[in-house]
Amino acid sequence: MAEPAVNTTKQITDEGLVKGASKLTPEKIEQVINSVIKAETGARLKTYVDICVHCGLCSEACHFYLSHDNDPKFSPAGKVKQTIWEILNKKGKVDAEFIKRASEIASTECNLCRRCAMYCPFGIDIAYLLITMRRICHKLGVTPQYIQDTAHSHSATMNQMWVKDDEWIDCLMWQEDEARGEIPNIRIPIEKEGAEIYYSVIGPEPKFRAQLIYQAAVIMHAAGVDWTMPATPGWDNSDMCMFTGDFEMMARLKKVHYESASRLKVKKIVMGECGHAFRSVYDVGNRALGWKMPPIPMVHAIEFYYELIKDGKIKIAKKYQKPVTFHDPCNTVRGRGLHEMGRFVTNATCEKLIEMHPNREHNYCCSAGGGVINCGPPYKMTRVDGNRIKAEQLFAAKAKGAKTIIAPCHNCHGGLEDIVHHYGLDMDIKFLGDIIYETMEKPE
Amino acid sequence: MKKKIWTLCSVFVAAVAVIVVTAYSQENVKSVQDSAFKTKMRPGAVFLHDEHNKKAEIDDCGTCHHVYKDGFKVEDETSEDRECSECHKIDGDPVPLVTKYHLRCKGCHEEKKAGPIMCSECHVR
Amino acid sequence: MHDIYNFVSGPLVWVSFVLFIGGCIYRLISMAALAKKKDPVVYDYMNLRYALRSIFHWIIPFRSENMKRHPVFTIVTFAFHICLILVPLFLFAHIILIKESWNISWWFLSDSTADVMTLIVVGSCIYFLVRRIVQPEVKFLTSPSDYLILAIVAAPFITGFWTYHQFAGHKVMGIIHILSGEIMLVAIPFTRLSHMIFFAFTRGYMGSEFGAIRHVKDW
Repeated sequence: MAEPAVNTTKQITDEGLVKGASKLTPEKIEQVINSVIKAETGARLKTYVDICVHCGLCSEACHFYLSHDNDPKFSPAGKVKQTIWEILNKKGKVDAEFIKRASEIASTECNLCRRCAMYCPFGIDIAYLLITMRRICHKLGVTPQYIQDTAHSHSATMNQMWVKDDEWIDCLMWQEDEARGEIPNIRIPIEKEGAEIYYSVIGPEPKFRAQLIYQAAVIMHAAGVDWTMPATPGWDNSDMCMFTGDFEMMARLKKVHYESASRLKVKKIVMGECGHAFRSVYDVGNRALGWKMPPIPMVHAIEFYYELIKDGKIKIAKKYQKPVTFHDPCNTVRGRGLHEMGRFVTNATCEKLIEMHPNREHNYCCSAGGGVINCGPPYKMTRVDGNRIKAEQLFAAKAKGAKTIIAPCHNCHGGLEDIVHHYGLDMDIKFLGDIIYETMEKPE
Repeated sequence: MKKKIWTLCSVFVAAVAVIVVTAYSQENVKSVQDSAFKTKMRPGAVFLHDEHNKKAEIDDCGTCHHVYKDGFKVEDETSEDRECSECHKIDGDPVPLVTKYHLRCKGCHEEKKAGPIMCSECHVR
Repeated sequence: MHDIYNFVSGPLVWVSFVLFIGGCIYRLISMAALAKKKDPVVYDYMNLRYALRSIFHWIIPFRSENMKRHPVFTIVTFAFHICLILVPLFLFAHIILIKESWNISWWFLSDSTADVMTLIVVGSCIYFLVRRIVQPEVKFLTSPSDYLILAIVAAPFITGFWTYHQFAGHKVMGIIHILSGEIMLVAIPFTRLSHMIFFAFTRGYMGSEFGAIRHVKDW
């Protein structure tokens, strides 16, 4: 281990929190808290708070708790105690300093990974309690600056990364051009009405991981898939507003996303390897819009790849040689149970899969998800120090021979990269798409 | 001398016999017992028969040692020579008989507002 | 003694049962109405099959990952809850009192079994108390009300044991025993003990979300 977790007591200065908190008055805090509690919460919040017997059994579910030598301040219920319980007990009469700290806890010391939901004997949805705290902080204007900036980008451009409409199209054409160097007749079909599949990605892909679009195009082409991508806003399936508690904006984003797909009359949405976007499109955003399930069938890339390989649409030329380990992203495993499909794809494309422990539903979070990595540089060490347990888990897999980590999620990539560097793990991190692209039979 | 010792011994034996017989005679019951109760959950209820009846001014044996025929109490007949369980049959389940005893004692105590009513007041360890 | 015994074992029993049953019904109905008004998703996503799947997994010892991680706690908490429910319902003395009052009765535990089970409840409460004081993650979450609730639960069993074995002052303890049982009954719907009535719903809802929507287990 490079260094023990020591930095966490260091005071972090976040402009968003400082400025936001400076504008608060006790009256405003009380009014906002009580209006959110009264207007937006109901039986769930009440039951969860009423029946929790303070047993502490959720503690060991949390990577922050485990990584801070079992510091009770980082246990799931411990975080609820420092946020929601307190504001309910005091009926909203808390000060700006409290809100600042509550926002920090809810936004940067919890990834909403829902592992604790599987450890609470009563099935209390602790992530729901902490997102409610984020919602209150959002309404008070006390949200970490970096993630608030992405939320602003969402409102202004309908994508997360301030990508302009023409830049998006430009990026697709650029990647098409690049891919033609390898496969001369490849296309990235834009705005193809009636296509089978609508492929959507997150804002960071055109911004700085454009090769993923290239790879996706090659996979689609090789599998002979009838696919398209939209030229209009809605292409970005990501959603930081879901994590800041800006639920109105979250609903608008999902509406634009679904509308662009229905305008193109596609049969199915396939999304790139992103976890939080999957949560937003499959589980949360649709509900905000009043659909019980997504209005258009949608699958995560893991499931899509699984189908392509199972149906023999993609053939593997030579399996990936280095031993790999598979990291289950919270939103695809606890959010959709794609763990076995992920392993099917991995086994089909890699020589050797070495499991990390715990794995599948019980895998430790990357500590980047839930918007924590989007809170930016001030909190980098919060999540890296706060996930020593992940490094230990990966070290154990490495000791058994694993050299590459497969993580089918953008946030997990970011989080794991920082962990791998900080703790000196020296392992590669790859998407399933990277592996498939590398190992598949490519058309001439 | 020998004669004297014999007399003393006889007197002693007779005295012991009298004490034992009195102690166990129907007239001087000290606790409620019924052979129908095979395993006892608690010690039998403490009940000093004569003292109780004197204090409670019960002269009619049939108050407790009643005899019923066709659902009606037979006025001149009593049943002190029998155990309650001869009529109040136990049939494997002790609950009804226990309840009969309880209602007989506790029921009357409640009615007269006198005497013990809590479990540990009668079932003394 | 007559008056006070008759009061706690008569009218107060009625009061406590009315508050207990009425309170439970009130809490359930008001929560159902609140859910209908403010959390209608609960109704849309509740799925009987997956709710039962989840409840089933969590009421059997060692079926969930977390129970396997805490074997002592699992054994204690299961033994505690089983004894806590069975002893009052099947105690011979309770059955006799009910038979005397309403002429109905049912199967009962032998007094020696009930005695051991009572000690299990009291011992579990001591375990919970020590855990609350000693284990940092539990201590951090603990408020004075947690001790109060523990006391409310332990009291009927301690006083019951005391009365049964006729330790000093057992007559007064008998009265306190009845009172403490009544306090516990009334406390169930209005304190954290309400997990007795809401457990199935929170567990079932989480089971439904995990099972029907997310296609994954929740244990």
